[in-house]
Amino acid sequence: MVMNKDGSRKWLMAASGAAIASGIALAGCVQIQAPDKPIEINLNVNIRQEVIIRLEKDVRDLIEKHPGVF
Amino acid sequence: MTPRSKIFIAFAAAALLGGASVALAQSSGADPVVEQARAGGIVGEQADGYLGFAKTPPADLKSRVDAINIKRRAIYTDLAAQRGVTVQEVAAATACQLFQTRVAPGEAYRSEAGIWGVRNGAVQKPSYCP
Repeated sequence: MVMNKDGSRKWLMAASGAAIASGIALAGCVQIQAPDKPIEINLNVNIRQEVIIRLEKDVRDLIEKHPGVF
Repeated sequence: MTPRSKIFIAFAAAALLGGASVALAQSSGADPVVEQARAGGIVGEQADGYLGFAKTPPADLKSRVDAINIKRRAIYTDLAAQRGVTVQEVAAATACQLFQTRVAPGEAYRSEAGIWGVRNGAVQKPSYCP
């Protein structure tokens, strides 16, 4: 009986410890700050400008090679 | 030189010239119907790297443009695979070039925002172009 009580107390302590730990972790994660600048919604998220620049020469060759298509 | 041989030479020269102009037309390869529609502001380059219609096209023109766009897509897909980028990126990079070189004054083109306009002065490049 005593053992049992002691065991359940340990369990309670562990549980509350876990709850506190997760509480701290959550507090650490959720940090929301309003941005200084207005939020811009860019619809072309899948187009990376550095890729466009890198492709410049390839694309010029492509156009030259396929005159019937461009 | 006999008059007969003169006539022969004239014919031969004409044939040669004709052949040369046909070869030129073939090497430029552009579909004359589509080219005419570009000049007429019916067909134009789009910011997405494909041709589109600023005005409702006749069925024949539509199928010609569709055929070109299918070829473009295949070409874009090839290069995208070679360079490890997306098809849209290759298409967009091509649009940047085409907007600079392929839209003549008075021709129609479609902006990044999807709006058709007619070139009057400089072409407005999409925002992602260098």
